[in-house]
Amino acid sequence: MLDDDLSVHIREREGVAIIDLIGDVTTFAEEKITGAYNEVSRRGARNILLNFRQNDYIKSAGIAILIGVVTEVNRRNQRLAVSGLSQHFQKIFRMVGLAQYIDIYQDEDEAIRGLTAAMT
Amino acid sequence: MHKVSPPLSIKLSIPSEFGYERVVREAVASFARRVGVASERVEDLKTAVSEACLNAIEHGNAQMPGTRVDVNCVWENDVLMVRVLDHGLRRYAGHVAPCIACKVHGEAPPRGMGLYLIAQLVDTCGFESSPDGGNVLYMSMHTRAMA
Repeated sequence: MLDDDLSVHIREREGVAIIDLIGDVTTFAEEKITGAYNEVSRRGARNILLNFRQNDYIKSAGIAILIGVVTEVNRRNQRLAVSGLSQHFQKIFRMVGLAQYIDIYQDEDEAIRGLTAAMT
Repeated sequence: MHKVSPPLSIKLSIPSEFGYERVVREAVASFARRVGVASERVEDLKTAVSEACLNAIEHGNAQMPGTRVDVNCVWENDVLMVRVLDHGLRRYAGHVAPCIACKVHGEAPPRGMGLYLIAQLVDTCGFESSPDGGNVLYMSMHTRAMA
């Protein structure tokens, strides 16, 4: 059974690099997510938003992928935020400690406000 | 006086392949809703059951083609009990709280949070012995608020 249901798109809004993650984040998402992260970093992004959409399913292996991104974000002195997570997955992120390293926002607009305010 | 509920049950058997845990997740969620698990807790159960199946596929069955994962759900006396059974080709146990700082700093592997998540998301969980030698991971959830 195929397990690759994630679409990843890159865009920019008000100086924030947005990586849209549409679908489920599973083991097979690593190449897409790290590839998108590396691309926005190559373009010089300092503020990065992982914008989750239609994510009904985030495995612990998917969380491990995000930990890898956090490691690189810290190394490169970038700022990372997430938006669009369901209440359940916000709880999961807090449970595993990811909230210590990632700012969690309810939606994209709130995240942009938070990230742009931090730039000034 | 406490009303005794009649037991209800479902049994599932899936190929030991990544992706089939979604079938179990949806079936168990539907069963859980039917026996009265609150919607927020259904989400917890979905994640816990998915992680249990993934462990069974990856570790217990060592991704061996042709193996299967069995899932038994029984609701009785206001407790939903889910058991996930594999062939025990590899043993795994224990749920250690993840050191997120260790993982972020590359001092520990980023993976290895499944059992910890399960333990956090259900009311009780653990391993049982199986006469067939497989791993049996059980997890339970009360279907109404505890007094």
